[in-house]
Amino acid sequence: MHRITVGAAALLFAALGCAQAGDSTAQFGGQVRAQWVGQQASSSGPLAQANTLQSGIVDLPVGVGALEAELRASGHGLSSVVTLQQQRSEGGATQSRAWVNELYAAQGAGAWQFSAGKKIVAWDVGYGFRPNDMIQQEVRRTLLSNTLEGRPLLMAEHFDASTAWSWVWVNPTASSDALGATEPALALRVYQRDGAVDWHGFARVGAHSGASVGAAAAWVASEATELHASLRYLQRGDSSAIDPAAAVLSLNNPWQLVTQSNVKQLLLGGTWTNESQLSLLAEAWWDGTAPSDAQWDAWFARNTQLGAMAAMGVPASAAAGNLAWQTQAFSTSQSLRRSNVFLRLSWQHDAWQPALDMLYHPADQGRILTASLTWQGDRVQVQGGLRSYDGPANSVLMQVPVSAMAYVAGTWTF
Amino acid sequence: MNTMTTQRKQMMKALRITIAFATAFVAITAQAQDVATLLKATDKYRMSADNLQVETLINVVNADGTPDKERRYKVFAQAKRQSLVLMQSPAEAGQKVLMLGDDFWLLMPNSQRPLRITPMQKLLGDASTGDVATMSWAEDYTGKLVGEEPCDDSGAAAKQSCLHLSLNANRKGVTYQRIELWIGKTRHEPVRADLYVLSDKLAKQARFVMDKPAAPTMVTEMVLSDQVSNHKTTHVRYLSRKERQVPPEWLNPMFLVRNPPLE
Repeated sequence: MHRITVGAAALLFAALGCAQAGDSTAQFGGQVRAQWVGQQASSSGPLAQANTLQSGIVDLPVGVGALEAELRASGHGLSSVVTLQQQRSEGGATQSRAWVNELYAAQGAGAWQFSAGKKIVAWDVGYGFRPNDMIQQEVRRTLLSNTLEGRPLLMAEHFDASTAWSWVWVNPTASSDALGATEPALALRVYQRDGAVDWHGFARVGAHSGASVGAAAAWVASEATELHASLRYLQRGDSSAIDPAAAVLSLNNPWQLVTQSNVKQLLLGGTWTNESQLSLLAEAWWDGTAPSDAQWDAWFARNTQLGAMAAMGVPASAAAGNLAWQTQAFSTSQSLRRSNVFLRLSWQHDAWQPALDMLYHPADQGRILTASLTWQGDRVQVQGGLRSYDGPANSVLMQVPVSAMAYVAGTWTF
Repeated sequence: MNTMTTQRKQMMKALRITIAFATAFVAITAQAQDVATLLKATDKYRMSADNLQVETLINVVNADGTPDKERRYKVFAQAKRQSLVLMQSPAEAGQKVLMLGDDFWLLMPNSQRPLRITPMQKLLGDASTGDVATMSWAEDYTGKLVGEEPCDDSGAAAKQSCLHLSLNANRKGVTYQRIELWIGKTRHEPVRADLYVLSDKLAKQARFVMDKPAAPTMVTEMVLSDQVSNHKTTHVRYLSRKERQVPPEWLNPMFLVRNPPLE
């Protein structure tokens, strides 16, 4: 299927190339990027424990280098973005792959716009967390921001000078058992501009997760201050949790799909920028889809029990395997903890932008600290940075498989 | 008798004060009207119609005279203080800034979300988006006529007389809170300006290059000298202007995030 879509995109590029001579609206562009991300494996947490018990039972985080070409073409109502990548992990073989980020047809009829195909549709107003990003469901706060891979959808939109309506049928051909961002769903967004405030209303009905509604606003409160807020209520939320009936030492993965009811998500944030282009972003959010404090306590207790069982003579491979399964807790939700605080300080000075940010979990004082530096030239951008996971030994962030990351990337735009 | 004389004197005094206030009020109002008229005349040299499409080329030069960077913008400057700036250089290709009165959005090509930006964030860059998109002063500023002064301290302009206007913003969202503006005495073309930000710090000095110095009809270039940080000089060249009113949905940030063809 992937080869078919990449092939279709290649045909689109060829068709647009043939048409270009007689059509000034056909546009081509893209970028080439070389990047390296180094990762330092954590010495604590279930993955490190598993590897200590039985070396090699799990793959530890390693450095990855990649060379990417992103190609864009548009014209005749068609748009396409294709990425070609060659990647090599430390101690691993070189892997090549290609994927289609976007391939869609768009047509307008007066105030109406219609789109069909694979398209990036990202909603909501926050930076660190976007509860109402109902279609794309983008992972936030990544080290390097890459072009997203869109979702298959059919979309109708209506615009006037200050209002926009969007109706989306996303993943129309997917199985009704599909979860998360791949779940078939109908979604609606209405946008209203009202002077200094942008208002957004959202609704979504998923084949599996049911109905949810949301609202968001962004308000320029003063010369230097912007405030934003986003709220979502989900009738049901898909997550995963340990089967309560499972034994501590389990033969099968004890993590199973669970459905939460009446889930709430809330984000409050603001940006302050001064004349020197020093900017501070502050956000706090509650993510009801994340594991509760009680669930994390149970998770820590299970890790301790598994470690103790290994010491009592239980086969190391069994304890190590169960500990490795415990890392699934890190992917149950976009947020690890329900309460989160995010701060980002950045400064734009000519071509340079240094930035510092911190994600903080008040529940256990865990934090992720990131420092980055970006230089933007005419066609070349160079960026690099460091990320460190920090906090008390019993904080959730000190249990994740990575303790530190470093990255450097160079991008040439054409 | 004495009482009547005193009352008459007091009445005459009150009348004189009232007339003086009224005269001052009329004079101030007349001057304000004069400044508004002058600004409208000055604006015509950059904004020759209510709705324009302007191709703009920006060259930034370092303090030592070496070239720094070049940027190209397409600006749809529309009536009612509405502007859409399309950035067309490779480094910024696909970026857009929408300005609707005092409200601003930044639209990035890889993002589907329009970012609300504050007036401070609009200052970004050697030639801020406000410098590129703002083509008129009359709707945003009120002020007073300071007087007649030499146009410049040096050069040919020093021999010419200019009208010095001191302008203060009447809205919160403008790029510069105060402008000291010198315009031609006869034709009212813009000659130079000192541009002050909210903290009343002199941010930039502007010089305006006209198409025909002897009988100017339009501004062809605005030269901005940074006075705060890097002391770079920015040349804003207006390559072409043509009348164009864009469809209303082009001024909707949610429409623009779709990256529609805007030609």
